[in-house]
Amino acid sequence: MKLHPVLKRWEGVLALLLVAEILLFGALNPVFLQPSMLLYATSDFIHVGITALALTLVIITGGIDLSVGSVMGLSAITLGILWVGGVDIWLAAVAALAVGTLGGVFNAVAIHLSKVNPLVITLGTGFLYGGAALVLSGLAGATGYEGISNFDPAFVNLANLEVVGLPLPFALFLALTVGFMALLHRTRFGRYVYLIGQNPRAAAYAGTPVFRTLVVAYALTGLLAALSGLILASYFGSARSDFGSTALMPAITAVVLGGTSIYGGSGTILGTALAALLVGYLQTGLQLVGVSSHVSSALSGGLLVIVVALRSLSEMGRVWLQHRRVLRNVAAE
Amino acid sequence: MIIRFLQRHREASVALIIVVLFAILGLVDRSYLSFDTVLLVYGNSLILFVLAIGATMVMATHGLDVSVGSIMGLAAVVAGLLMNAGWGIPLSIGVALLVGLLCGLFNGVLVSWLKVSAIVATLGTLGLYRGLVHLLSGGSWIEGLPEDFKALTKAGSLGLSPVAWLVLVLLVVAHFGLRYTAFGRSMFAVGDNREGARLIGIRVNEVQIVAFGLNGLLAALAGVIFASQIGFIPNTAGTGMEMRAIASSVLGGVSLLGGTGTVLGAALGAYFMTSIDSILVLLRLEAYWNDIIAGAILLVVLITDGKIREAVDRLLRYQKYRKFIDPQAAGPQADAAKAARPLKTALETSEARK
Repeated sequence: MKLHPVLKRWEGVLALLLVAEILLFGALNPVFLQPSMLLYATSDFIHVGITALALTLVIITGGIDLSVGSVMGLSAITLGILWVGGVDIWLAAVAALAVGTLGGVFNAVAIHLSKVNPLVITLGTGFLYGGAALVLSGLAGATGYEGISNFDPAFVNLANLEVVGLPLPFALFLALTVGFMALLHRTRFGRYVYLIGQNPRAAAYAGTPVFRTLVVAYALTGLLAALSGLILASYFGSARSDFGSTALMPAITAVVLGGTSIYGGSGTILGTALAALLVGYLQTGLQLVGVSSHVSSALSGGLLVIVVALRSLSEMGRVWLQHRRVLRNVAAE
Repeated sequence: MIIRFLQRHREASVALIIVVLFAILGLVDRSYLSFDTVLLVYGNSLILFVLAIGATMVMATHGLDVSVGSIMGLAAVVAGLLMNAGWGIPLSIGVALLVGLLCGLFNGVLVSWLKVSAIVATLGTLGLYRGLVHLLSGGSWIEGLPEDFKALTKAGSLGLSPVAWLVLVLLVVAHFGLRYTAFGRSMFAVGDNREGARLIGIRVNEVQIVAFGLNGLLAALAGVIFASQIGFIPNTAGTGMEMRAIASSVLGGVSLLGGTGTVLGAALGAYFMTSIDSILVLLRLEAYWNDIIAGAILLVVLITDGKIREAVDRLLRYQKYRKFIDPQAAGPQADAAKAARPLKTALETSEARK
């Protein structure tokens, strides 16, 4: 059984799937193939992709961050509160990013101090940050569904700005993908991330700065989640505390579909980026063909189950084949 | 002493927090401090109780199910549609529970037989089942449920509704069933040491699948209770409940790494999560304070618990190895200690391997 070299790498399979998906939807509805459609459709889901990039780092270290959705809401609300309070919008944006980063640092410190499973800690901090966003928006007198709006037009226009022909959020996503690829695959920090995920004890014995690496990974996740919140605020022209509540699960889906092991130790940024586009375009394409957005989310859930089950089955099959080969060799002797 | 007691009985620490919460309530207004308040909170936490039982079982086998919210919604929609189509109430509920059981078994098969990690598998089915909800309901709310169905959660004998009695029975059965039956223990064995459990003859995969299946069944029951309590079924029924259920169980001492935890603890955790909601209402605080308070208390409990556990572990290990570290302290045992030294290194390496 010879596999084509492209198929040997998971990213290759994902890229082929992505092309096939775009061509399929293009055949069903030619509007889908227009470049402007393909580019601007990304604005609906690119915040998930941006968050997923940094979440990949955390998951590779063997951790997870369930608070990213809440951080998105918190950063958007922070921006809104400061804007309402008369702070310059750019200063407010920087403050919102800082809040997200601090949230990430707090996650890492809490995980390190308590030695409790990151899943549990970030579940708790997720409630905390989400609650903080609710309290802030409540104190500002913004009702949950309207949120805070009337931002500076310059800020609202950001999401529609074009950079070398690409919408700004998408351009940002591409730049961050390249940046994170360099960070994870080309720096010492990146190697530490993998080592910690493979074997935290060996990493500690080898003198790896485990705590520092984890703080940076979680802080980056908080930072990018906050950035996603700002992108959403700019895109919608308003800030709501529940912005990220639906973004958590798709972000984890993108990371896992991208080939990162949920147990840590392996995964790539390119895989996550491709998977985020794959899932995002699946939703957009289905909606364009006339499937309701809720059913399309069911289909992306189904896609995740099928892909992961197939990967697991093929792994089991590979092991079974290997065993059989060994047994046959032994029998032949 | 107290720390040791709290360590051994994780439930006690949650019970303590609940008492403190009620004490604060009592300080503000004495008239609230009554059995009625306790019952009120109990009535509000029925759904979370049922979900927490299921979460405890799944987490005991070192699994995790984040799809329960969607199963809840799916079961509620199935029951609602069937009832409005003229099927009897018991039959509709029965079918809804069956749907929940099947959803749970599907999760279990993915996790146990196909070896997909639990969080990933149930993350996928979370979206899948939610999509089925929308597909079945056609995107609209289901209203006009029969009055007899809504009466199931109306207060009856001794101030408790029929469903509240059922949940009480379920809690007792689940608590003792998990602690004192062979099947209950086998779930904990699977979660604690899967390979070891297999070697002593437990069918590990099947036990885990059944745990997921029962969890699905209980999630469906929670969905039915939800529908009966609010009297209509929105498409978003149950969203976000999975995180609350997991948080309740974890707060009550169920470990995500499997093998430990009690239903009593999880139930107290669920009671606490709901009492925050109810008590804030009584204290006339705005409802938006809920999550931040719940999150803060959850974190404080988890971090202190982690710290205590670490300290106790270190103390126990120190006492175990004291004679090897400090031969004088052990006195006459020193010779034995010297002989046992290779054993100690062996133990340490085996621990390092973990």
